[in-house]
Amino acid sequence: MVSDSITNAPIPSAPNSRDFSKKKRANRSAKLKQCKLDARREQWLSQVAVKSKGCKEEGNCAKKERDRSLENPRRRDQDNNDDGSIHHESDSESPSNSPTNSLLGGGGGSGGSDSGTNFVGSSSSRSSISGSSSGGCCSGSITEEEEEDGCLDDWEAVADALAADDDNNKPEPEPENSYSQSPSESQLSMQSDSTPELTNGLGLDSANSMTETESARMVPRISGNNTQAWRPDDAYRPQSLPNLAKQRSFPATNRHFGHGGVPWSRNSVLGAPSSCPICYEDLDLTDSSFLPCLCGFRLCLFCHKRILEEDGRCPGCRKPYEHDQVESEASVQGGSLTFRLARSCSMIARS
Amino acid sequence: MQASRARLFKEYKEVQREKTADPDIQLVCDDSNIFKWTALIKGPSETPFEGGVFQLAFAVPEQYPLQPPQVRFLTKIFHPNVHFKTGEICLDILKNAWSPAWTLQSVCRAIIALMAHPEPDSPLNCDSGNLLRSGDTRGYQSMARMYTRLAAMPKKG
Repeated sequence: MVSDSITNAPIPSAPNSRDFSKKKRANRSAKLKQCKLDARREQWLSQVAVKSKGCKEEGNCAKKERDRSLENPRRRDQDNNDDGSIHHESDSESPSNSPTNSLLGGGGGSGGSDSGTNFVGSSSSRSSISGSSSGGCCSGSITEEEEEDGCLDDWEAVADALAADDDNNKPEPEPENSYSQSPSESQLSMQSDSTPELTNGLGLDSANSMTETESARMVPRISGNNTQAWRPDDAYRPQSLPNLAKQRSFPATNRHFGHGGVPWSRNSVLGAPSSCPICYEDLDLTDSSFLPCLCGFRLCLFCHKRILEEDGRCPGCRKPYEHDQVESEASVQGGSLTFRLARSCSMIARS
Repeated sequence: MQASRARLFKEYKEVQREKTADPDIQLVCDDSNIFKWTALIKGPSETPFEGGVFQLAFAVPEQYPLQPPQVRFLTKIFHPNVHFKTGEICLDILKNAWSPAWTLQSVCRAIIALMAHPEPDSPLNCDSGNLLRSGDTRGYQSMARMYTRLAAMPKKG
């Protein structure tokens, strides 16, 4: 869906050799692409809004769709790529580690390699691609942030992880979408014109910054239009949403976005109860990321405190909490640390 | 509102919602006091208690669910782990093995399981325990069946 719009848009810009018109075209194509992406997003969101009147399950479906949307460009890359098996391997390896490592490794690694290719590769086209694509992801995460204040950190983290995956794949295969071809073709024509590459790069840079400013401009418009989207206090909003996002321990299947992200939502729904099994109150963000015992029994912080004051045994396995408590605090801190680092890494990847 | 009251209220709603989920258990809350519950449980099949309906009385403490509810049989039952006169139940999950994750419903289920699998080594009813420990399963079963008929079955006619 998205790929079509991207491939169609820049083709007319390819044969143009003059610098000025090229710049203009680039701007326009970027704008076009942004508009289409935005329109697509709006469509999804409105679908979600309609569906969300049903039940939780459908909320998950919406999430699936969103996952897929983020995943789309990457899948395209894989299809184009001959040695897709290598990518699958690397995909399956990274999530098998602890989420901290995978997030850190993925974000940091991609950031490093990406910036490396950006500067070494000397083709400013590539940097513009990764920049604009991650910019698109960025704008997406921002819109979702504004619609769902409750879980902004996590959405951003997820989006960053996806962006990191995208970036991971990008440098390796020669970008084959026409979006990337158009600058390279124009580059060839440039060289024939003996125009310095610098101007080309400048033009693309300005185009890039244009897209970014545009995305910044469009974000509020989108969030303004989609008043049907879930708000934190919306009754139709699936209760499991914050829990899903806050889930620190991504199961291994989560990162296999080749499956369309289906197991992701399902698994974490099963993994985290929406209410505390002790007091039956709803678990909030802090509670659902709180894992006080190794047995995986979750409960709210209030009940945990009350239990510590009494016999101090985990209700799930009846083993005493004691040092587990310290560990859990450490892991909670580690979780927040992970997200913070992941975000900063993604910042590196974006720049 | 105390946590125990809130939790019991939630459990009450849960019971109302899933009334048909477990046909062997019927949990009823006292009309005026949410800390007093009664339950009707069916004797498990292939035991001497089959066909009987046993009434349980729950007294829920203020510290519930951190403290276990006090449960006793109101219906007379011949079982090694149930006191024959008071109906007191010797069950680990009602004492030291209690977990706040248990509910009144799950306590009922545990009691049904205890009826099917008596523990003669920690008896409250010594006569019943001695019969089982001496290997007189037949004697135990006939005694238990007799009391089930006498106390736990609807009188005919």
